[in-house]
Amino acid sequence: MIDIQHVTFSRGTNVILDEFSAQVRNGEAVLLTGNNGAGKSTLISLIGGFLTPDSGTIEIIGNDISKLKAKDQAQLRSIAPQRRTFTLAYTVVQVLNLVPKKRRSLRTHTIIEELGLVDLLEKKVTELSIGQQQRASLAIALIQEADFYLLDEPFAGQDSASQIRIMNLINEIKQEKGVLVVSHNSDNAHSVFDREIVLN
Amino acid sequence: MKRELSLYLGGLILLTLLFLLSLRIGVLHLQTPLFDILFHKSEGVDATTVWDIRLPRALGAIIFGAALGFAGVIAQGIFRNPLAEPTLIGLSSGAVLGTIAVISSGAAAYGSRTNVLAAVLFAALTALLVQTLAPNKGFGFLLTGIAISSILTSIAGLVITSSPKPSIQSLSFWNFGSLSLLSADTLRATAPILEVGIITAFFVARKLDIYSLGDASSHYLGVNPKRIRLWAILALAFLIGASVSAVGSIAFIGLLIPHIVRTLIGPAHRRLLSISGLVGAIVLLGADLVARTAFQPHEIPLGLITSLIGAPVLIILLRRNRAQWISHD
Repeated sequence: MIDIQHVTFSRGTNVILDEFSAQVRNGEAVLLTGNNGAGKSTLISLIGGFLTPDSGTIEIIGNDISKLKAKDQAQLRSIAPQRRTFTLAYTVVQVLNLVPKKRRSLRTHTIIEELGLVDLLEKKVTELSIGQQQRASLAIALIQEADFYLLDEPFAGQDSASQIRIMNLINEIKQEKGVLVVSHNSDNAHSVFDREIVLN
Repeated sequence: MKRELSLYLGGLILLTLLFLLSLRIGVLHLQTPLFDILFHKSEGVDATTVWDIRLPRALGAIIFGAALGFAGVIAQGIFRNPLAEPTLIGLSSGAVLGTIAVISSGAAAYGSRTNVLAAVLFAALTALLVQTLAPNKGFGFLLTGIAISSILTSIAGLVITSSPKPSIQSLSFWNFGSLSLLSADTLRATAPILEVGIITAFFVARKLDIYSLGDASSHYLGVNPKRIRLWAILALAFLIGASVSAVGSIAFIGLLIPHIVRTLIGPAHRRLLSISGLVGAIVLLGADLVARTAFQPHEIPLGLITSLIGAPVLIILLRRNRAQWISHD
């Protein structure tokens, strides 16, 4: 379980999260929605351990993540950030190989196929369209073996066929793991999600 | 893979040829065949010239050239800036100041271990200073580096001018770089420090691919970006400190070589690091050969040649890679 207890986080005088608590359990997919600036991406960064709460705790399977090394955090959760900057001309296959072999999911091949990356493997990631780059970025997160998957706007910039395939992937993953998805346009995605958390 | 292998092989052959050529030619024309000097016991002026003067110099060109190539890869990678290069971002000037500070204070002589360590320390401090003062990671970072570099160079000039020690060398020696003072003793003093730098650089390079995706992505994939920056700065300080204390600050090698190698084999950092080291060694050995033979018996400052070739290539790279100027993160 991801257990968020009374988390407060502010930037300067701007309080982004105030005493926020929530849980994500194994075997469920949770949708995280809310207005722009409500702190959705901030919450992902906090669970991901990249940011540290001003107060409150975040535990993943009983581990206080602020006390874990980056390497150990990566075994517990995998994160697809809203944007990834590809500035160097790696091939797609090189980018996917950034996930160490011993930490790669058994479903790696299926994920690459479902995300339509098979024909792009030898292409330079810097030469892909934004939508393709987003799918490569999502693939990095999904092929990393972890207990929880946090996906920030995975449907953004994708056509409806890709959106459906991404939803199918989420559906598969949640059979064994927990998933938290940030999304704006989730109208047609509700069937995958077991519940919704709204941030204000 | 095949391309990589042929690069290694071709590079090693070229390096060997340049190495033999460096031992063979110079102001003094050898009367004894080089083979006899190297493999049979021989004495006299020829043997002394080859063993005591040309060999340390050629070996120095190889190891310091490689160090500059390594440093360029690490600097561009860790600052996520295609133009980050030790001479541009102030590290080399820091190392120069560290070197001449200990020489002028009489604490240590040129080429001594203390001298090398002072250069390493100053290079590391300069890197931290530039990082702290820079307003952003793109232009701001580079301009801060250039500003700090000028300040440190000016201070270095003042120290040199007011120093009574003739052994301190001129500012142009340190700013342009030269292999003319290299001896076996200098190599012995610097080599272990350089080795630490190289090992650290290879350790850092394994993580630089993940690190290149940005701080957050890097953290999410299990690589702590702050820690890797610290290791990288250490690697740079060791590589640049050791090189600069022995041969001064040689510009552009660290900037250009990673760019050229990247176009040949792609951006993956481990391969990039080893091949850039090899190419750095070839380029510095070749440049030094030109520096000491082109206008015999006069020697051109080495950095003059690397700048003359390097600066125009930099301008070309800038015009081609405008997109890469956008700072990110």
